[in-house]
Amino acid sequence: MLKVEKISKYYGTFKAVDQLSFTVKPGEIFGLLGINGAGKTTTFRMLMGLLDPDEGNITLNNKKIDYDITDQIGFLTEERSLLTKLTVKEQCLYYGTLKGMNKNDILSKMHELLEKFGISEYENKKIKELSKGNQQKVQFITAIMNNPKLLILDEPFSGLDPFNVELFKKEIIELSKKGSMIIFSSHRMEHVELFCKKLVILMKGKSVIEGYLKDIKEKYRKKNIFVKGTIPVDQIKDQEGVICVDKIGEEYQIKIEDSTYVSKIFKEISKSEDITKFVVEEPSLNEIFIEKVGESFEE
Amino acid sequence: MKNKLWYLTKVSLSRKIKSKWFLVVNIILLVAITAIFNIDSLIGLFGGDFNEKQKIYIIDHTDGLYPSFKEAVKQTEVTLNDKKESSYDIKLYKKSLKEGKKKIKKDEKSILIELQPDEKDILKVKLISNNYIDTIDSQILTSALTSVRTTLAISSLGLTEEQISKLYEQPKIERIILDKTKKSEEENMEMMMTTIFPIIILPFFILSIYLVQMIGAEVNDEKTTRGMEIIISNVSPKVHFASKILAGNAFVLLQGSLLLIDSAIAFAVKKIIGSSTIVASGGFDVVEIIKTVLGSSLMNQLVYIIPLMLISMILTFIAYSLVAGILASMTTNTEDFQQIQTPIMLVSLAGYYLAMMAGVFEGATFIKVLSFVPFISAILGPSLLMLGQITILDFVIGIGIVIITNFLLVKYGLKIYKVGILNYSSKNLWKKMFKAVKN
Repeated sequence: MLKVEKISKYYGTFKAVDQLSFTVKPGEIFGLLGINGAGKTTTFRMLMGLLDPDEGNITLNNKKIDYDITDQIGFLTEERSLLTKLTVKEQCLYYGTLKGMNKNDILSKMHELLEKFGISEYENKKIKELSKGNQQKVQFITAIMNNPKLLILDEPFSGLDPFNVELFKKEIIELSKKGSMIIFSSHRMEHVELFCKKLVILMKGKSVIEGYLKDIKEKYRKKNIFVKGTIPVDQIKDQEGVICVDKIGEEYQIKIEDSTYVSKIFKEISKSEDITKFVVEEPSLNEIFIEKVGESFEE
Repeated sequence: MKNKLWYLTKVSLSRKIKSKWFLVVNIILLVAITAIFNIDSLIGLFGGDFNEKQKIYIIDHTDGLYPSFKEAVKQTEVTLNDKKESSYDIKLYKKSLKEGKKKIKKDEKSILIELQPDEKDILKVKLISNNYIDTIDSQILTSALTSVRTTLAISSLGLTEEQISKLYEQPKIERIILDKTKKSEEENMEMMMTTIFPIIILPFFILSIYLVQMIGAEVNDEKTTRGMEIIISNVSPKVHFASKILAGNAFVLLQGSLLLIDSAIAFAVKKIIGSSTIVASGGFDVVEIIKTVLGSSLMNQLVYIIPLMLISMILTFIAYSLVAGILASMTTNTEDFQQIQTPIMLVSLAGYYLAMMAGVFEGATFIKVLSFVPFISAILGPSLLMLGQITILDFVIGIGIVIITNFLLVKYGLKIYKVGILNYSSKNLWKKMFKAVKN
């Protein structure tokens, strides 16, 4: 288990990470979210042992993170951490050896993964000659080739087409099923919602939301009602508890303060004769993220 | 971790050696060095001749001064250039001055001299050439003509032959050098060594620049691609730093050895094609110089100067590589690195020029002090040592200072390196680095 206990990191007088705590169990995919400059990179660097926390502790399976343990961690950075003058094979051998793997293991794992991601023909090509998407695949391969116990993925789908995003998703879920602890970071909330049962949202180094996604959504009182048909928009807008009414395609999205207003709105809408849809939904993570981050900015 | 150090060193070194540019540069170096050592044969191949004599035509209107002038030129050459064989082909020209001028116009390189008595019945000379005359030629001819004119003037005074020969008799000079380690017959040797020494240290100077560039480029490449984050998450900055220093120094030593092999091949080629003994490098016959050095008492000095010089050079290479690694870790791109490493390159360049001109500053305390300065001492020290301006102990102290410098660079530089390699912002850079040193 990865245990992060009240870690803080200062750059001079600036507090980049402030008393952050969370745990990730084997097989869990954990979301570490935040806008740019929220403290994610500093947290990743502390998880990788690149920086020591000024306060608090980080342990992986009850061991402090140091060079004896980093061989068990895989890291995919937001920027492509590839040495572009090397060939794909050289790059895999380079990072694999630094992770303590032997040459035969690296080559057999590399061939398996290149085949899986459909880039076997690029084995001897220089990385700088590859497309952005294929470079991202190589980076992903180098991050997972040591079957890491802890895998940190920072914007893993960057530069990928929808087909390859699916390939990556499949592989990430497979790794989680095999027991890897995965920390996932992305600005695409739909991806986070898809993978992460548990998450933390950082703002100025502090956690503003943390816990299981289900609980977070439940605690978040605002709801969305999706309606298809003709509705008296102005009348609905004037109703108590309605935040706004937006038309999205052929549907209306009515945002309400909390679920207590649903029946009142339903009564009003049911007066119309052509209503074919009335669905109450939890807010998206994106909405929660934007609102919480906005609140923190105002503070 | 030790295995990772060797692995990183091996990868870093093999990346350089396996590069096609390494092969191309070394082929070019081999060709260039061979060409330089055999430049005389090369010029001869295209019709040039180092042994071609300067033609001088003499129109003699005097009472037979031509033989005296010819002899005077020969004597002047011996005095000024210590030459046994004359570089001039002097011929009597019996046609008119007008005809002579026409000849000179055709034969552009030749010189026409008209000797005639002046109003005092001594000597008046016209020196005609199609173009500018070489300074040395001009000096020799003027000196020879002055000598002839003096002889004429003296003979007009009615002196006896005995008196004239006494007048020209050279004084007997007894050369005494108080330093017992020095021999008068080797007086020119030291000067000769100071002249060829810059040629010997030139590869060191070039290799030190190469070393700084190589380490800087590698660290910057890993930093800018962010590959550094993955590398440093698996090996400590100390191991990474050490691997760069080891690989860089191994590379320059390999490149230095290849330069020696290139020189040996160039010598072999010179032997095979049997080119003339006139020079290859800087106006000297290198083979002759080596023979002279081997047979002289300087050889006794070189027995310990060369190993000390090599030790000093290797330690200085290490110092350069440490500085390059530290500076590269602080910068965020290659352009910044190029700027930040300029001062250290200027220091090295100054050291090279000072080593070349060490003889000019003989006795200057400032130069002696500079010979203790790390980065410079490896090239300036041996030069001053050969000139006898510093003692062997001074040179050993210089080596000691480089060792202390390297120790300090490792101790404090590593702290900067650890912070620098993961720093991607140039904001408050120096503040961050000073803070790193303090911690």
